[in-house]
Amino acid sequence: MLENYFSYIIRQPVISTPVFLNLLPILLIWRKRAYNDKLLLILFVYLILKLGVDLVMLDLASQRKNNVIYYNASIPVRYILTSWMYYYEFDSKLHRRWLLASWPLFLAFSLWDSFHTNPSMSDLNNHNVVLYSGTIESLLILFWIMLYFYNTIRTLKIPNLLAYPFFWVCSGLLLYYSSFVFIAPVLHYAAKWDQWMDIGTLDYIPYVFESVSLILFSIGIAQYRDKSYAK
Amino acid sequence: MQSNDELKLVLLIASIAMLMMAFFVITFVMYYQKKRFEEEKKISDIEKNYNRLLLDTALNSEETERRRIAQDLHDDIGTMLSLTKLSLNQLSKLVGNSGDEKEESIMKKSQSLVEETILHVRRITRDLVPTTLERFGLMEAIEEFIHKLEEDNNLVIAFQSNTEEFPRQGQKLELTLYRIMQELVNNAIKHASCTKIDIVLEIDEEMIGLRVTDNGVGFDPEKIKESNLAGLGLLGIESRLAIVNGTVQYEQPAKGGSSAIARIPVNPASGNKPEPLHPFRRERVNI
Repeated sequence: MLENYFSYIIRQPVISTPVFLNLLPILLIWRKRAYNDKLLLILFVYLILKLGVDLVMLDLASQRKNNVIYYNASIPVRYILTSWMYYYEFDSKLHRRWLLASWPLFLAFSLWDSFHTNPSMSDLNNHNVVLYSGTIESLLILFWIMLYFYNTIRTLKIPNLLAYPFFWVCSGLLLYYSSFVFIAPVLHYAAKWDQWMDIGTLDYIPYVFESVSLILFSIGIAQYRDKSYAK
Repeated sequence: MQSNDELKLVLLIASIAMLMMAFFVITFVMYYQKKRFEEEKKISDIEKNYNRLLLDTALNSEETERRRIAQDLHDDIGTMLSLTKLSLNQLSKLVGNSGDEKEESIMKKSQSLVEETILHVRRITRDLVPTTLERFGLMEAIEEFIHKLEEDNNLVIAFQSNTEEFPRQGQKLELTLYRIMQELVNNAIKHASCTKIDIVLEIDEEMIGLRVTDNGVGFDPEKIKESNLAGLGLLGIESRLAIVNGTVQYEQPAKGGSSAIARIPVNPASGNKPEPLHPFRRERVNI
């Protein structure tokens, strides 16, 4: 069992690294008790869920089983948890309403996309990556990040961005989703169980930036000060 | 195969471009935020300096006006009262020769009233322009102020200093400390219903401290500020201190009453001996 894992990790170090790197921000949040802050509590839940899904997917991948269904299922959950952090950061009620409205819409859309991409849901072996949901998720998150940055520079509420944890979280998400936005639709065609298409370096870019984003999350959490937290 | 390679290249370029944009956005937000904060700080500093200048000008105008009123009182009213007193003296001799007791009594009463008025005018003039402050310095001015107050009120005012020879400070600084001391003591008399006031003047290498403590009813400065009850007195003290980079702190001693501590950075007087402030000379005061 362990041999399979080690063999997979050695064969796919770039893909495996972010799975274990998830532990860094989780441990930091735990150690610094940053979960006392609502925003970082959501990030904590998001990272734990992500770690769980990543470990299951790693387990299945090491056994050479199709793990795409977990990826497809994690997309709406990931979107809701990520955008939830912005809900607390937005001051405008209108922006909050837009964000709340996007949840059921995106959930419905990703469900439709899953069924549309995989008409036979019971066939787990030939399960395909969703066609649109990854791209839409990336675009939506990029939109919320841009909106947040715009509000930040407009209102000047945060005196020192580098000491503000959520800025680092946003930067990590921005880099990850920027790297992913064009690759997400390609995965549908490339990651097929019986017709695997080698897309070379492109396959690794999101994983590299996932690791980068997790490091940025960790830097942000390291900035967390219980009393002097800006918001 | 070729189209597959082209697709990969296009995707790679698009992803790199997207990532470069992401890096640019992050850098831009950091840079722009920093720049805007610096600009805001500059504007805030300019506003602060402008307000300070306005305040300084207002206080200068107040001092100039005080001096002008003192001059008018001394030169015009004072002179006329002295002449009236002389005339009454002459008239008194004439009335005395007539031997009418009633006329003599009215004359004496008139003379006494004129003398009293002259004394009042002199007192008001001195109150308006603290000549002792500029001639002899802060300690002597405070002692004189206390002496006058003790004459008029049933109060015990104690004055202490940590030095016997208080070094002369800049004219503006001395006047600021003197006016603050006046305001705090007047406040204690008016509002605190106190029987004892302690004034302590301390100086070290960097700061001058003025502490005025009374044994009256006391007050909570925070509540007064929150409820917009801060009168012109407390605001005036803060305004005067803002000009000389000073601070004021209010305390409520455990034994009751209230205590105010003003602290101002030392600003020794320049080598030239300050010219005496005197209501006789008509000039604009430059504090």
